[in-house]
Amino acid sequence: MLSKGDFVRIADNIWIPSTFRDDMRVPARLYADEELLGAALGDNSVVQLVNTTTLPGVIRHAIAMPDIHQGYGFPIGGVVATRLPEGVISPGGVGYDINCGVRLLVSLTAAEEIKPFLEDIVSSLYVNCPSGVGSRGHMRLTNTELDRVLQEGSRWMLEKGYASREDLDRTEEFGRVPGADAAFVSDRARERGRDQLGTLGAGNHFIEVDKVAEVFDQAIAARLGIYSGNVAVQVHCGSRGLGHQVCQDYVSRFQKAVRDYGITLPDRELVCAPFDSKEGQEYFHAMACAANFAFANRQLLTHMIRHSFEQVLAGKIKDFELRQVYDIAHNMAKVEEHDIDGHRIRVCVHRKGSTRAFGPGSSVLPEDLRDIGQPVLIPGSMGTASYVLIGTTEAMQQTFGSTCHGAGRVMSRAKARKMIRETELRDQLRARGILICAGTMSGLAEEAPAAYKDVSRVVEVVHRLGIGRKVARLEPVAVIKG
Amino acid sequence: MMSFEEIEHTADRAFRVKGRDLEGLLENAARAMQALDGVGPAGEPSATRDIEVEGVDRESLLVNWLNEILFLEETHQLVCERFHIYELNDCRLRARVETRECNESHTHIKAATFHNLKIRQTSAGLEAEIVLDV
Repeated sequence: MLSKGDFVRIADNIWIPSTFRDDMRVPARLYADEELLGAALGDNSVVQLVNTTTLPGVIRHAIAMPDIHQGYGFPIGGVVATRLPEGVISPGGVGYDINCGVRLLVSLTAAEEIKPFLEDIVSSLYVNCPSGVGSRGHMRLTNTELDRVLQEGSRWMLEKGYASREDLDRTEEFGRVPGADAAFVSDRARERGRDQLGTLGAGNHFIEVDKVAEVFDQAIAARLGIYSGNVAVQVHCGSRGLGHQVCQDYVSRFQKAVRDYGITLPDRELVCAPFDSKEGQEYFHAMACAANFAFANRQLLTHMIRHSFEQVLAGKIKDFELRQVYDIAHNMAKVEEHDIDGHRIRVCVHRKGSTRAFGPGSSVLPEDLRDIGQPVLIPGSMGTASYVLIGTTEAMQQTFGSTCHGAGRVMSRAKARKMIRETELRDQLRARGILICAGTMSGLAEEAPAAYKDVSRVVEVVHRLGIGRKVARLEPVAVIKG
Repeated sequence: MMSFEEIEHTADRAFRVKGRDLEGLLENAARAMQALDGVGPAGEPSATRDIEVEGVDRESLLVNWLNEILFLEETHQLVCERFHIYELNDCRLRARVETRECNESHTHIKAATFHNLKIRQTSAGLEAEIVLDV
């Protein structure tokens, strides 16, 4: 069992674990305060972090964010970059829910104004945004339509009238990841995704109606349309069964690829292939398709959320229109260029449970955001605060332009089910003025706030480190849980 | 009595499963995963389904088999009640499963993973620990 004594603190909130393995190619680095470091030591997440330092081509250091927790293969809350073209890409470094991410919408209406209509809004959202495991959407796509979704993402939604130009401008990669080629997505993945567009799914996915509770940076918040007291809506979901199948297909296929390329790994879930190999390229093309599916999914859900607000609020209050602040991925592998030891280097950045947080001046941001940096969305656990941050130059220098992605679990699902009664939890949330509606009520306890770290503490660490700066805090008023 | 026990895992679900031989392990693992997912029969018996799985070794066979069962559950809302594995070696499996319409799962298992997966020989047969992505 690891202890704090196995770590060296190289700066405030930055820890380097000792060399646990002889085959580490680079050091590992953990960003956390003492309490969050202690939480990370409660499971196998640090061992998993160290395992990722053995990947061929890994560069600089493997990074764990303060919300790190145990996953499978890679830890959740990790950033691992490999040098291209010879470095590897790993499907497990992205995970099964490819482009799981968060979208934030805001309105100019005060949260108090919609309070009398909140129950109706929740009912409407619940009907219009299908949730649950095998939930089916309102749209069943033909093969040709599915190909276009996979290759064009939110752009196809714009053409169909489910998105605005501004929505696309305020989406990572403008809602379309380059490199997508539907020829590398299996028939099985297509079958799973065909009728899942516009669905929330289950697990920790949600739609949340929030109130902007606190603004830390008035100037940046105003640029993003965020004002204290107003209504905000978050959507957290990903690529559904289609993405899960793409990951399964390639993790299975790469079991052979690692043998063919003579790659030795400490865990079979880390399987990988050189980025420029046939296998590496095919996975990248397929992953990009699943990522585009996820952007399109959140876009269609956005359309349905706007429709729900319209259904309930039209003619009753003004200015309830929801504008998009941003949409970010937190499970993705991306080709980027970063300055490393004085050189501009092309890398494949695996962010698994971490968020891109590009600072001011980045040419990949829309022109109107280039001087302030990229908005970063950090959802809390159910019933707790969420944060809007802004990307920073420090993140570009220290973490391949990355920051945390959420609160991070601290209690197992099995333990949460034993310790927390769902009816009590729902009553507690109601007592705090938070409405809850769940597609799968039996899983509610697993997502209880007690099962997660304190998101405010996580955000405080990244803010103090400068790898994401606080802009605003949101507090929930209603949750539609998947 | 089920031949599995759940193992603590921070974010996902994990279980230890046993079987007298590979066939028993595969069958028990499928039942364990369905039990953890909270699915059970809730409708009419459905037609039998043929499952064919290949892998580079026994571990990959096990993972691919479980993912086939998940696919039937998510895409066709079917729970497997009886398993007839009629061809099996370390790299290939063919089976006929009897299925029934199922209730909605509680957990939403996305996939069976290879995380630290190793099928071990024990005095009573075979044993493996499997992590499921939730």
